[in-house]
Amino acid sequence: MLLSKSLKEVVKINKEFLIVEKSKFSSFITQIKRSFIITKKDLKVYYNKPPVLIQGIFFPIILFFSFTVGRNIASLYLISGLITMVLFLTSTSMGPIILPWETMRGTFERLVTCPISIRTILLGGIWSSFIYGMIFSSIPLVIGFVFLSSELVFNLILVIFAMILTSLVFSSFSLIISSPSSTNPGSTMILQILIKFPILFISPLFMPVNSIPTAVISPLTYCVDLLNIGLGDVSAFGTFGLLFDIAVLLAFGFGFLFLAFALHQKTLEKRFRG
Amino acid sequence: MIAITVNNLSKYFDPPKRGKKRNMGAKGPRGINSTIRAVDDVSFEVMKGEIFGFLGPNGAGKTTTIRMMTGVLKPTNGKITIFGRDISKNQIAIKQITGNVPEEANVYFDLTGWQNLTLIGEIYGISKKDRINQAEFLLKKFELYEKRNLKARKYSKGMKQRLLLCMALMSKPEILFLDEPTTGLDVQSARIIKQLIKEYNKKGVTIFLTTHDMEVANELCHRIAIINRGRIVSLDTPENLKKLTQEYKAIDFYLTNGVAKSEIANLDTILEVQEVREGFHVIVENIHEAICEIVDFIKQNNLVIKQLNTHQPKLEDAFIKIIERGGKN
Repeated sequence: MLLSKSLKEVVKINKEFLIVEKSKFSSFITQIKRSFIITKKDLKVYYNKPPVLIQGIFFPIILFFSFTVGRNIASLYLISGLITMVLFLTSTSMGPIILPWETMRGTFERLVTCPISIRTILLGGIWSSFIYGMIFSSIPLVIGFVFLSSELVFNLILVIFAMILTSLVFSSFSLIISSPSSTNPGSTMILQILIKFPILFISPLFMPVNSIPTAVISPLTYCVDLLNIGLGDVSAFGTFGLLFDIAVLLAFGFGFLFLAFALHQKTLEKRFRG
Repeated sequence: MIAITVNNLSKYFDPPKRGKKRNMGAKGPRGINSTIRAVDDVSFEVMKGEIFGFLGPNGAGKTTTIRMMTGVLKPTNGKITIFGRDISKNQIAIKQITGNVPEEANVYFDLTGWQNLTLIGEIYGISKKDRINQAEFLLKKFELYEKRNLKARKYSKGMKQRLLLCMALMSKPEILFLDEPTTGLDVQSARIIKQLIKEYNKKGVTIFLTTHDMEVANELCHRIAIINRGRIVSLDTPENLKKLTQEYKAIDFYLTNGVAKSEIANLDTILEVQEVREGFHVIVENIHEAICEIVDFIKQNNLVIKQLNTHQPKLEDAFIKIIERGGKN
């Protein structure tokens, strides 16, 4: 009697395991689906946090005026520069605070013990940063489209493709900033400023791409170049060429993504040292 | 049936950087603490349907052990298997059939109680219909249903802890890991949680809980492992652990006026003394001599005794004895 009860339990538990232990591909799809659930949570919880609002909304406005006031800037460079800057600042505003905030509040440990990997949690953060970035960077696109459509040739498919690709690159980049195992979102904000501002200053925002020699090392440069092509750059292929821009952005994107995965895997345990 | 097997489990941490206080550590070359042995060669088994308690003082290694068992930390050495499956190779599958309430965990303050629960349900892949049913059932059971649409930031500590337990039970787990589930809670919340732990255990859920509350361990656990400085110093049923102190007796006495603990400790017949509200809890060997000496002391100092009780030592006394013995060893 006891033996049969025990056997029944073994069968029941093995069945439960079998439901979860599916093929690698099916497990991968499950994890991707669950990353979207993390995204939904991140957007609900973090969209209005002060560091996100400061980095994602106030900084682009202030920087736009400081870059443009008193300068005679061509419409093409104005719109491509503004979209790139907003994309960069908004797509990187949410990612760096999610993990420090969750660690500080004690919600991260609860999440880590759920049936999701750390990569799924990070991927969820990337999607949410991406959506946040796309929403805010579409504002200058709409403004440009309404007021400057007579001056610019809007290849909307290319412009939106450039925005999606660049937003994903910057979202992956934002997770690198949150990898030091800080439990204090404030210290991550300082790190953000220290990293993001120099990148902004070496990038050709609101000017021709080839006007800054150091621009080649900045991912923003290739976004500006792609947008210039999409907005009707006279050279039609931009400074570097369409395919080159896409290839470099993809290389930056995958580089940032794998670096973020590796760094977070390394610092994960430090978040839980009592 | 064995639910959890822990074999020679160890977790060593690098020493903290300069300026941070160091805990216990192994002496490395030049006498510098090279590593912190948070958990050191721990082995035990938990049977299916058992409530297994992990008891120890602060910093003993309870949370580090449970964090390794729930896949949060990787062991330095050793192996953990859950229903025969190695946790290092089957983490997602094992997490799917376990529920967890970490000690320092919290709910999402910006989400309502209902949203917190359904979020966990979605992560565990529970269908929408089941999610709603299970969330409703748990919120009613844990007396949170009326407050389900309130943001969790407005919940009291007890309500948050109850919500965390609901989240752990959303997936109907086979094993529940609870790290200090009743610490710092109001009486009502602690009572609800203890009741429900018993109830779920009766339904067959295996429960692994860490605590430093003797009453919780005594009331709930079938077996208790006592851990100190990263090592298990004793593992037995609460009754057998209490037998370790059977040659001793305990006396509780309460006075109308205060007296220093050191004065009571100086009495010849008193082995151990603990200050309790308006009185003392003492451990003695010869109860007759001890009562006489205590009464004499009270008379000599013109004190008034309100109450005096004698009883067998509690689990707490056994715990202190085991920890002290472990320390001397």
